[in-house]
Amino acid sequence: MRPPTSINHIKHAVPIATGKIPLQLVSAGFNRAYSSGSERPSTARRPLPPRPVRPTTALSTERAPSSVVEYALTTLDALINWGRQGSLWPLTFGLACCGIEMMHASMPRYDQDRMGIIFRASPRQSDVMIVAGTVTNKMAPAVRLCYDQMPDPKWVISMGSCANGGGYYHYSYSVVRGVDRIIPVDVFVPGCPPTAEALLYAIFQLQRKMRRTKVTRMWYRK
Amino acid sequence: MSTIARTLGNIRKIGLKEYWHQLNYIGDTKAGVLVGTDRFGNKFYENREELPLRTRWVDYAKHDYDAGHIEPLWHAWISYMVETPPNQDPIVTAAPNRPWAPKNHTPNLTFTRGAYKPYSTTKPKVQSWEPIAAPR
Repeated sequence: MRPPTSINHIKHAVPIATGKIPLQLVSAGFNRAYSSGSERPSTARRPLPPRPVRPTTALSTERAPSSVVEYALTTLDALINWGRQGSLWPLTFGLACCGIEMMHASMPRYDQDRMGIIFRASPRQSDVMIVAGTVTNKMAPAVRLCYDQMPDPKWVISMGSCANGGGYYHYSYSVVRGVDRIIPVDVFVPGCPPTAEALLYAIFQLQRKMRRTKVTRMWYRK
Repeated sequence: MSTIARTLGNIRKIGLKEYWHQLNYIGDTKAGVLVGTDRFGNKFYENREELPLRTRWVDYAKHDYDAGHIEPLWHAWISYMVETPPNQDPIVTAAPNRPWAPKNHTPNLTFTRGAYKPYSTTKPKVQSWEPIAAPR
C-alpha cells in the first residue's frame, strides 16, 4: 500500500485503517494479468460483478447540502456551534487526584481561559461536566442530580480511569464501575491521572463533536 | 504580551496575507523562523524572543486541524521535551533505525469509520429479570 502523503483523516484514513483495497481495482488487475498471458488456466477466476459505488465520505451522516434551505441551515448550524465552542463553562466535579490535573488546566501554563473555559460552581450555569475522579456509590446520586440540574445542551467529559470504568477501584464494593452507568458520557480521557494536556485534548475533541452537531438541520429534517 | 507595536511589527515582517491566515488559525500575530515542515505539510515555527512556552508553534496543513496530526518526534519538539527539532537532531537523522516505531503516523480516527469501538468478550454477570406469571 502506498504511504500516506497527507493526513486526510476524513477520506484517506478509512482505507489505510482497514487495509482494504477497492475491489474493482483488484478484479481489473486480475483480468489484465490473466487475459494477456498464454499460460492462462482454463479455470481462471471469472470477473467479479461490479460493486455498488460507495459514498466517498467517511461517515454516512456527512452528506453535502443539496438544497438552498440546507445550505442556509448549515451556515446557521456553524454559527450556533461556533458560539457553543467558544464558551464552554464546565462544572467541576473534582473527586480525586484527577481534580488536581483539572486545576492545572486552568492555571497559566495551560491557560484555559484563552478558550473561554471558565469553571462554574453551579450546575445551573454550566454546560459541560468534567467528572474527574472515582465516583463512589455514595456520590452517584449527587452526580446524577448535578447532571439533571444542568441546562441543555450539556456534555460530559469522563476524566481518568476511575471515572471511565472504575479503574484501580473496579473491584471495590463501593465504587461505580464507570460514570457512564449513571450519566451519558461524550469524551473519555484515559490515564491515571490524565495530564492537563490530555484534558485539553479532550476539550478539543468535544469541540470537534460540537462542530458537527446538526442543530437546525435535524430540526428541519424532522 | 500582545501590544499594538508588536502586532504592527509582526505584520510588517510577515505580510498581510499571512496575518489574515494567522488570525484565522492561531489567533495571534507571530513572526518566526520556519524550522521545518513534516511530511504532511505542517509547518513548524520558532521565535526565541517570544514569552516562554509561546516560542514554538505549528501551522497545520489541514483546515480541520487536530493535535493528533503532529508526528511523535515533532510533538516532542513542539511540547518542549527536546531542544533540537527532529530534522536537525543527529540521533534521528544520522541513525534513523527505529524498527519499533510504526512506519506511518496514524491520526486520531475518532469520528471516522476507523474509530475505536470497545466490545466485551465476557459473559455478563448480571442477567435481567424476566417475569414469568405462574398459571392459576
